[in-house]
Amino acid sequence: MTYYLVNLLIYAAVDAMACLALNQQFGIAGVTNFGFIIFQAAGGYTAAILAMPPKSANGGFQSYIGGWNLPFPLPWIGATVAGGLIALPFTFLVGRRLRGDFAAVGLLVTAVLLNLLVTNYVPLFNGDAGLSLIPQPLQGEFNPLASGYKWGLTVVALLLCAAVYWFLRRITESPYGRSLRAMRDNDAVADSLGKNLLSLRTGMLVLGGAIAGLSGGVLVSYITTWSPAAWGYAETVVLFAAVIIGGAGNHRGAILGAILVPVGFEEATRYIPNSNSLPPNLIPSLQWVAIGLLIVLFLWFRPQGILPERKRVIPLPGLPAPRAGPPADGEKAAPAAPAISVRPRAAPPESPGPRPAVLEAVDIVRDFGGVRAVNDVSLAVRRGTLTGLIGPNGAGKSTLLAILAGTLRASSGTVIYQGQDITGMPAYRRARLGLVRTFQLASEFKRLTVLENLLTAVPSNRGDTLRGAIAGRRYWKGDETAAIARAQAVLSRFGLESLANSYAGDLSGGQRRLVEIMRALMAEPTMLLLDEPMAGVHPNLARRIGNELVALCQEGMTILMVEHELAIMDEFCDPVAVMAEGAVLAEGTMAQLRRRSEVVEAYLVG
Amino acid sequence: MALFLASVGFGLVTASVLAIAAVGFTLQFGVTDVLNLAYGAIMIAGAYVAYVVNQAGASVWVGLVAAVAVCSLGSVLVNSGVYAPFQRRGTSPITLVIVSLGMTLIIEFGVEAVAGGAGVSYTMSQGTTFHEGGLILTTVQLVIIALSLVIMAGVHALLRYTKLGKAMRATAANKTLARNCGIRTSRVITVTWALTGALCGLAGVVFAIDSGSFDPTATDIFLVLILAAVFLGGPGQAYGAMLGALVIGLATEVSAAFIPPDYKYVVAFVILLVMLGVRPTGLLGAPA
Repeated sequence: MTYYLVNLLIYAAVDAMACLALNQQFGIAGVTNFGFIIFQAAGGYTAAILAMPPKSANGGFQSYIGGWNLPFPLPWIGATVAGGLIALPFTFLVGRRLRGDFAAVGLLVTAVLLNLLVTNYVPLFNGDAGLSLIPQPLQGEFNPLASGYKWGLTVVALLLCAAVYWFLRRITESPYGRSLRAMRDNDAVADSLGKNLLSLRTGMLVLGGAIAGLSGGVLVSYITTWSPAAWGYAETVVLFAAVIIGGAGNHRGAILGAILVPVGFEEATRYIPNSNSLPPNLIPSLQWVAIGLLIVLFLWFRPQGILPERKRVIPLPGLPAPRAGPPADGEKAAPAAPAISVRPRAAPPESPGPRPAVLEAVDIVRDFGGVRAVNDVSLAVRRGTLTGLIGPNGAGKSTLLAILAGTLRASSGTVIYQGQDITGMPAYRRARLGLVRTFQLASEFKRLTVLENLLTAVPSNRGDTLRGAIAGRRYWKGDETAAIARAQAVLSRFGLESLANSYAGDLSGGQRRLVEIMRALMAEPTMLLLDEPMAGVHPNLARRIGNELVALCQEGMTILMVEHELAIMDEFCDPVAVMAEGAVLAEGTMAQLRRRSEVVEAYLVG
Repeated sequence: MALFLASVGFGLVTASVLAIAAVGFTLQFGVTDVLNLAYGAIMIAGAYVAYVVNQAGASVWVGLVAAVAVCSLGSVLVNSGVYAPFQRRGTSPITLVIVSLGMTLIIEFGVEAVAGGAGVSYTMSQGTTFHEGGLILTTVQLVIIALSLVIMAGVHALLRYTKLGKAMRATAANKTLARNCGIRTSRVITVTWALTGALCGLAGVVFAIDSGSFDPTATDIFLVLILAAVFLGGPGQAYGAMLGALVIGLATEVSAAFIPPDYKYVVAFVILLVMLGVRPTGLLGAPA
């Protein structure tokens, strides 16, 4: 009985640690690490060769590197470090450039191949047979066969698991954790708001790898053997099944999943009578089939898992009780907006004379295959203007905007922002310099609340780094409170305060556009690049947005706005640039442009 | 030198098997947008279908036809029953890959549950062995190479000269636009699953013939080679997959002449990772 319970609890602790780490990567940060098992394997082998005597021991029947005979707890520490370090070579797969599913395939293939290599290369870790007789912690001081020892090891494993849970929760519930969830929901948008995706993903690979390594170290210390059969690529799929079934994005769900899937399956099949009439492989094969079925069925019927990710409600001070339903678009006619500056960075507007250009595009060209989407465009946006960019479908407006924001690379040409050449600068760094964009398609972080969407964009929150998150709430609470106050001001300016704690994914189309604009403002921009901010928005609300944008420009902000609607351009934008077939046809006020035949023609014909 | 030439011969056979598999995989991904990791599992299911027919006393070539039919139908069913409903719901590509991993477990271990885990082989004659200019190839190996060449020519003709092929290319390039141009994309996608499923079954049987003995997990590693060939040429690029198969097939077998054969897949693996890291659109794809 002792043996049974100890076995059950230690496996539960190890699997729960692994699932927590995988959930942090996959459920929280959206990094689909199909090679997860490599990290556990690395921890297992490292702990083994650190604890084991030189390979000549026991008659030299095994061959392996290392054999340092190190005392407890060094093997476990080594396992943790190894799991974290082995993540570093993979970071090139998870940068900005590679699609998530391709990166996942790369990691999966790596897992398959490393298993093949370790299986075949005997001198490393004794090949296919694997390592055995791995020393248990403190086995010189205590008797590992005594039940007291076994219970001691169990308690240590459970405590470690609890510590991992506490630690990951601390990170997830911080501003840094919010950035991770934002990246999960929409990485391109997180990038445009100044989040360094490569650094966030690297952090998660290393952190998750270290925890996986620790779990491997604890496991080998208990089972005293470790071989390639224990870490086939399919083991990763089991852990994914556990996280998906338990509830991706919820750490308690990950623990539940670990108990239900890897542990539960082992236990359930233990009670199937071992009949000789059954083929020897039948039960394990059917176990795998069942795990595959569970994955597919859960993703279809309950993709959020048994314990869904919980909503992070942040109470706002002085807010009246929420109304019964969300207000309709444009329901309230522009109330007197409180005069709260949302952008402390920008300089006051200049006095007369030609204003200096904030952003300049020089000879920008962009090719897609054989198509030239942007053809030799030069454009200057002057400080404090609400510049419109108009043109028929396919004129290259959105492409130009994406190049200015750094979402796309220019094939040739130069982008100059506040006198600095930023042509090769990635989007997140442009955002940090105050050049912030919005997107044409809905781009809210769906599984974050409206308030969280806004808070994500705040630059320089002390809690928005891994170190800050680990330092804890007390370290970043001041910044967070200030950010919430600012977000509340922006929300009330746009009349969306009552929806602060609704999921952004549940809002109407018009409200989502508002969230996007508010979020961009929270990034403390010097200049905004707006891609059709009023598309699909109720005309009343569109007018309201337009008025707010004009007010922002009067406060010193610079805006470049892509729009379809001539009426909106007429009302709010000055000057306006017209694009057609990849080139800028004309620039000027709308009144001037209407008199120019080629402009009218481009619109009517195009 | 003799060893080198002999390994080139092996390389050509591997490349032929790989080309059939990789062209099927890449067309499937390009047209349907499903990165179907269960492709290897469906291959091995096809190999077992041929095995059952072969055990019943028929020639393995009859079994091959049966496998092609079963895998073609099976792929259509897997799509209409699993992938297509997920896609209609707007599931993200990465979730679809997880679904395909689930399908891999279901199919691969479903086969194992029925067939057992032990290795099996077809009952067949390898035919005469030819020694020609240093290459050493059996009749069966020559048949595989010829079969592959015929398939490649067929795929070329399909994509280049038929209405269906053009519709497939259009669907791959831009689904919405293709639909707006009057192409019935849902039918094109179903036909693509049938065609690529057939290629998958064919590849499974020639893979099993080529490897001599196989078990239900035999394609786990071969899938790595397929992915390497596909990503070398560029995902979705049929000609890229042909080129990739030739390079990967020759590279693995020729390197096996100089390094321990257990490590021959490392070459494919390194090529795949380099392509993913440096140029994920492949040699024949447009740069990112």
